Amino acid sequence: MKEKLVFLGLALIVMLSPVMSPPARTQAQGPDCAGGQEVTITFMNWWGATREPLMNQVIANFNEICPNITVVNAVQSWDGREQLVATAVASNEPPNLIMTSRTETYQFAYQGLIEPIGSYVEASGIDPWSIFYESEIGNQVFDGELYTMPLPTAGGISGLYLYNKEMFRQAGLDPDDPPETWQELEEVTAAMTELDAFGIAKLGANILLVNDLSSSFVYWLYTNDGQLYSDDGRTVLFNSPQGVETLEWMVNFVNEYSDGLEAVRDFMAGAPDLTTADFPLFNELLAIEFVNVSAFGHLENTDPEMWADPEMWGVALRPYNADNPNAKSAGVSGLAFSWGYTIPVNQPQETKDAAYAFLEFLTTAVDGGCYFLFEQGRPSPVMACNEDPAYYDANPYWDVVLDSLEIDVSVSITPVQGQINDILSRAVEEAFYGADAQTVLDRAAEEAQALLDEFWSES
Amino acid sequence: MASVQKREIAPSVSVTQPARKRQRWIGYLFILPWFVSMIWFDAIPFGMNLYLGMTDYSVGPIEQANWIGLENFERMLDDDLFRQSLANTIYFIVFSVPLTLILAFSIALLLNTRIRFLGLFRTVYYIPSIIPVVAASIIFLWMFNARAGAINQILYAIGIDPIRWLTNPDYTKITLVIISLWGFGAQMIVFLAALQGIPEQLYEAVAIDGGGLRARLRHIVIPLMTPTIFFNLLVGLIASFQVFTTAYIILGPNGGPLQSGLFYMMHTYNNAFRYFEMGYASAMSFVLFLIILAFTLLMIWTSNRWVYYGDE
Repeated sequence: MKEKLVFLGLALIVMLSPVMSPPARTQAQGPDCAGGQEVTITFMNWWGATREPLMNQVIANFNEICPNITVVNAVQSWDGREQLVATAVASNEPPNLIMTSRTETYQFAYQGLIEPIGSYVEASGIDPWSIFYESEIGNQVFDGELYTMPLPTAGGISGLYLYNKEMFRQAGLDPDDPPETWQELEEVTAAMTELDAFGIAKLGANILLVNDLSSSFVYWLYTNDGQLYSDDGRTVLFNSPQGVETLEWMVNFVNEYSDGLEAVRDFMAGAPDLTTADFPLFNELLAIEFVNVSAFGHLENTDPEMWADPEMWGVALRPYNADNPNAKSAGVSGLAFSWGYTIPVNQPQETKDAAYAFLEFLTTAVDGGCYFLFEQGRPSPVMACNEDPAYYDANPYWDVVLDSLEIDVSVSITPVQGQINDILSRAVEEAFYGADAQTVLDRAAEEAQALLDEFWSES
Repeated sequence: MASVQKREIAPSVSVTQPARKRQRWIGYLFILPWFVSMIWFDAIPFGMNLYLGMTDYSVGPIEQANWIGLENFERMLDDDLFRQSLANTIYFIVFSVPLTLILAFSIALLLNTRIRFLGLFRTVYYIPSIIPVVAASIIFLWMFNARAGAINQILYAIGIDPIRWLTNPDYTKITLVIISLWGFGAQMIVFLAALQGIPEQLYEAVAIDGGGLRARLRHIVIPLMTPTIFFNLLVGLIASFQVFTTAYIILGPNGGPLQSGLFYMMHTYNNAFRYFEMGYASAMSFVLFLIILAFTLLMIWTSNRWVYYGDE
């Protein structure tokens, strides 16, 4: 409650300040929004659970500026999401605004199913490149056209880890000196992991996203000075010596310190994320979990006691390979979780206009996206929002969160990224089951390169 | 004689033809809803699917699809996951279909006896088949959890080492087969209805000849149940070729460890909705149709040898 009051006070100051005032303030206001007609738009999104009332509040805030636009908050289930999005965007009566991942945005843009928003942005007079972090807004550009604006951050997805300080103390380790390198991470995990008849009873560090081995590999690759693709996105680079070394290290780490991939999957299967109270990190069963910036809101909601005591938990940057002099902590932005809100072409002009008006408010306004993300304790892709001192009061490790945004590297992807992710996942998994790292990565690189070549030849 | 016959027939035709025509139209009227539904929901999608299977269609307006002939079908020959998903599906069918059939038939036999609380038992055994598959899948996901799941806890309690049901590629398919048995209730009801149609006199005849339970089963029940067995077998086979939801929920879109639970429909789904390769997915759907058709025809052909319809 205190944080909310502080934030509201600051929000008022920000609204009055010309420096902090985001360009959303300049969008059409009053009864003239989107031409002034009474319009109802359907906003298809996946901000469910604790986020749904926050989104409803954002819509209410929007309606204070644009009372003529009714926004139906159509929250969807994650089950069968891909099917729903693909059929919705291509239908004759699509939702007016759809939450899409970066890969989907690119695919739909490639197929001509969604509107570029360049002309809207120009008419509105805002400058997205000065509002958002460059990589964040850059992620939403396909073939030179801007298709949406980001919310939440694409960054801060992989550069952080959350750790349980109590487990460090129990293992005789300094809780204020969390591992910074791969080698230190091995030591910590070796000191904490315990096995029983069912597999892992207590785990030092889970270095994998157990259902997304492709992303797991890429995240570690960047902490070993490796790259997924060349900067122009046309050449596969993940089978480089750094890639092979990274995969070998991952396999060795999991086999040596975590009883193998199957044991880790079983250990994590019971409580797959931080929204469940029996997540092992909350119960002194998992010391280190690599999280994205949504973790803070989940921690606050799921284990308020732990959240309230910074001596119980800490945050640090993803460790790097100390044996590689060029390696450093890094995060990857734009590969996953790079969400935007796209406007399908198959709809009347007035609903397109209304959808854009809401999109701009949602992503750039102080009482839109800034409010929505602050309430979840996560950073905003809008630079000005993150400068809000209230964040430091709410999260004692806010400086680390901002550091994680700083170390993010934006990855260029294409509409075929979904296929490449699966190809790479298979290769990584085969390595965990004993295949040679160089062999599997070379084969995956060959398949991925063929897909990229085909895409670029048709573009 | 011939002219007399003609004269007799002619007036009769002139009287009954309008009535027959009316009857025909009434008949056509009755089948019209089915016919419209068949055209709209089956024939047109089938034709469209076949057409799309020969294009590079992705998503969006169908006009954007380019004709590529049999390229998608040729591509399947080089697609490792196509072969793997087909092999996984056949493995599933080989175990799931007969086991479900045997279980449903056995329970139906038990429920066809005169025991107390028969209605309760029938309800209890049928209920699982009407529980939503998503809810049931999530329950099984928990039950087969290697650490906290009830199955491993029970096994451990009786001295058996815990099994990695869903994370060891050697166990994933057999786990899904076990889970699939849960839905035997629908087949059981069909068996039960058929069992109740067997005339009592036939059982009495066996009893008079000194036959026991085994003789009743072998000489009366099984032969008279063969049309029902055939029906359940056919329906079970067709459904098993399309296994998707449970595996998708439990193992994820890629079918769990080393794609060991990647079934044909999941690979089709991935191509359609995750990779937006609708053309290729349509071609895969058509191939699945051909496979199911071939199996169905094969079964119908062999049914002459083992299905007894009573009037033969």
